[in-house]
Amino acid sequence: MRRMPDGDGDRVPNVAGVRDDVRSELITFVRSLRHAGVDVPASAAIVATRALVEVGFDDEKRARAALRAALVGRPEDIDRFDRAFGEFWNRLTAHLSLAETGGSARGADDGDPPGGHLASVGDAELPELDGADPERDDATLDSTHDRTGGIGAVGDAEAAENENETVATATYSPAGQPKRVSVTLSPSTEDEALMRAVGRLSRAVATERGRQWRPTTTGERADVRRSLRKSISTGGAILSVPEQRRTRRASRVLVLADVSRSVLDVVDRSFLLRWLRALRARTRNCRVFLFDTDIKEVTGAFDAGSTRVAVDALRDAETAWGGGTRIGHAVTAVRDEYADAVDRRTTVLIMSDGLEMGDVSELESGMAWLSRRAATVLWLNPLAAAPNYEPAAAGIATALPFVDGLFAFTGPDDITEIARQLTRYGCGGAIGYEHDPRRGNRIQP
Amino acid sequence: MAAFDATDYVAGDDIVTTVLLALRLGRPLLIEGEPGAGKTELAKALAEGFDTDLVRLQCYEGLTAENALYEWNYTKQLLAVQADEHGVSGDDSVFTEEYLLERPLVRALSDDHDRPPVLLIDEIDRADEEFEALLLEVLSDFQVSIPELGTVSTDRPPVVVITSNRTRGLSDALKRRCLYLHVEPPSFEKERNIIERKVPELDGAVAAELCGVTQRLREEPFRKHPGVAETLDWARAVAELRAVDDDNSLTPREIEHTLGCLLKEVEDIERVDGTLLEALVESARSARIEAGTG
Repeated sequence: MRRMPDGDGDRVPNVAGVRDDVRSELITFVRSLRHAGVDVPASAAIVATRALVEVGFDDEKRARAALRAALVGRPEDIDRFDRAFGEFWNRLTAHLSLAETGGSARGADDGDPPGGHLASVGDAELPELDGADPERDDATLDSTHDRTGGIGAVGDAEAAENENETVATATYSPAGQPKRVSVTLSPSTEDEALMRAVGRLSRAVATERGRQWRPTTTGERADVRRSLRKSISTGGAILSVPEQRRTRRASRVLVLADVSRSVLDVVDRSFLLRWLRALRARTRNCRVFLFDTDIKEVTGAFDAGSTRVAVDALRDAETAWGGGTRIGHAVTAVRDEYADAVDRRTTVLIMSDGLEMGDVSELESGMAWLSRRAATVLWLNPLAAAPNYEPAAAGIATALPFVDGLFAFTGPDDITEIARQLTRYGCGGAIGYEHDPRRGNRIQP
Repeated sequence: MAAFDATDYVAGDDIVTTVLLALRLGRPLLIEGEPGAGKTELAKALAEGFDTDLVRLQCYEGLTAENALYEWNYTKQLLAVQADEHGVSGDDSVFTEEYLLERPLVRALSDDHDRPPVLLIDEIDRADEEFEALLLEVLSDFQVSIPELGTVSTDRPPVVVITSNRTRGLSDALKRRCLYLHVEPPSFEKERNIIERKVPELDGAVAAELCGVTQRLREEPFRKHPGVAETLDWARAVAELRAVDDDNSLTPREIEHTLGCLLKEVEDIERVDGTLLEALVESARSARIEAGTG
């Protein structure tokens, strides 16, 4: 027996070498677990990082077992962990796939599973993949987000001649690793369906009843106040009962679209851009803001004749794509700087995965303001398309009480479903992804 | 994995990965699960697989620091003092390692082992919460303070395996220091694999039938479900009662007579009536067919 030596530091994995993406994803994952009620020990994120470095990313099962050992301490939490892990792993491998290709073309059909041949994040080479390379050939990044087969394919009929041309937007984010994001323009046959769906949504929003009650002869309910007032002239006897109903309102739409890395990795960017353009075209008054860690109005970019022009406009505007998400900051920025964008006639569409990197209290106050100010607040979440999706992430859980409906957002069918629910049940009715009849039958992308 | 294979311990990927992490990160492994799920056996398999010593501390209510850490050999100390008084011995102090009786925790920290030992702290939920606090120092720094002697530590920390049957919750401080592994009841295939390895004298088709019956019993609302340990006991009992190479199907009578190996509560045994017995036999037949040995 003897005194303890200086520890076993040489055996400890190089946690400092772990890429920022992995770290931030892990922290987000731990926060979402805590929010879901999992009893995660205080230092568990550090242990989890070490564990992940040890087992690497070659095998999802091993990574799952490693993180479960580090983050879970009660058997009743295992199910919650397993539910959240799939989402975390998809995001993580998408990040790492991007880093892995690192500028070299990786065929979408090369047969490699996501992260299947990735080196351990502890390897010395990986940090070099972090930085954005402004000289990087855009064409080489084409397939970096092609995880679901559709991601990265932007296009419309008008852009057919630009097939396979890539356009990259400038990137910046203080919270995430800046990377150039490429968008491949390719012809699409879905525009017609999308325009139809957006048209339905626009009609549903436009025909939504306002908050004010107006006198009418074919009302929805009795106007008690007018009845009493009229009864004064007849000595208190009510001879007729006036009626009232909510009036239709002139509608406005405000779109807040999250373009952080976590969203861009799961949503079909082609669909996102075409949806924004269609909304702008089919809605009388629609303003569009993009946000990640900052917010920028890009309404004018979607007035252009084609998606190609919209992408060019985005590039010229040096819109910040990628990085973390500060949804609360975006909403409060609208409140402070673009307050005229929201009024009692406005339907606000927030497209985000709800993975908040900023202060959730700021998000809470911002959403409370938005809820009070706007006619309707709808949250469109690409992750809600998953059959077992639960709004457990900190951001979406904070925002949910102030939202009239949370919907999936992956394609024209989801837009059609939103329009259907709004038309049938109204904004105050039982609407949302949980009432989507397709839920449970859809195949997770 | 080789360590498990060498000891016929059937471990899934999750167990192998978690054990590997515990070894590489040098963190204690906290294993929870139903009694008989193979928690203690895992520690034994590790010790055997790594060809090292297993230092076991069986916890119980009222376990004290003296029982877990060390005691002074008072008799020897007294004799030494008396000898010193008579000029027989010249020892200055009776508080040296010579007079120390090492209990499991200190023994695991001693340098007497050729390789780092496996320290098994078994059924920690039986011990008092005060004992958990005692463990914190040991598990954090692998050192123990002995006021009369100094700090005992080692440069080859033991592989620590802590098991719990969850009869009470463990403190956050303890859990924070450990990697966690919950051992689920084994699947049919895994349990069959275990029996075939541990009880090779039993015919494969009969082993499959045993697993089918055990899986069916686990669906019943018993007070205590049979674990892997009970299944192995039952398999050994059935093998013992049968002739060598007897591959006949299990009979209701055979199941009924050996049920005591599986169910350890009288209320549970009384629940096994004729209907359930028929269901068990049916499960056995299905398992034999499923295993492709019918």
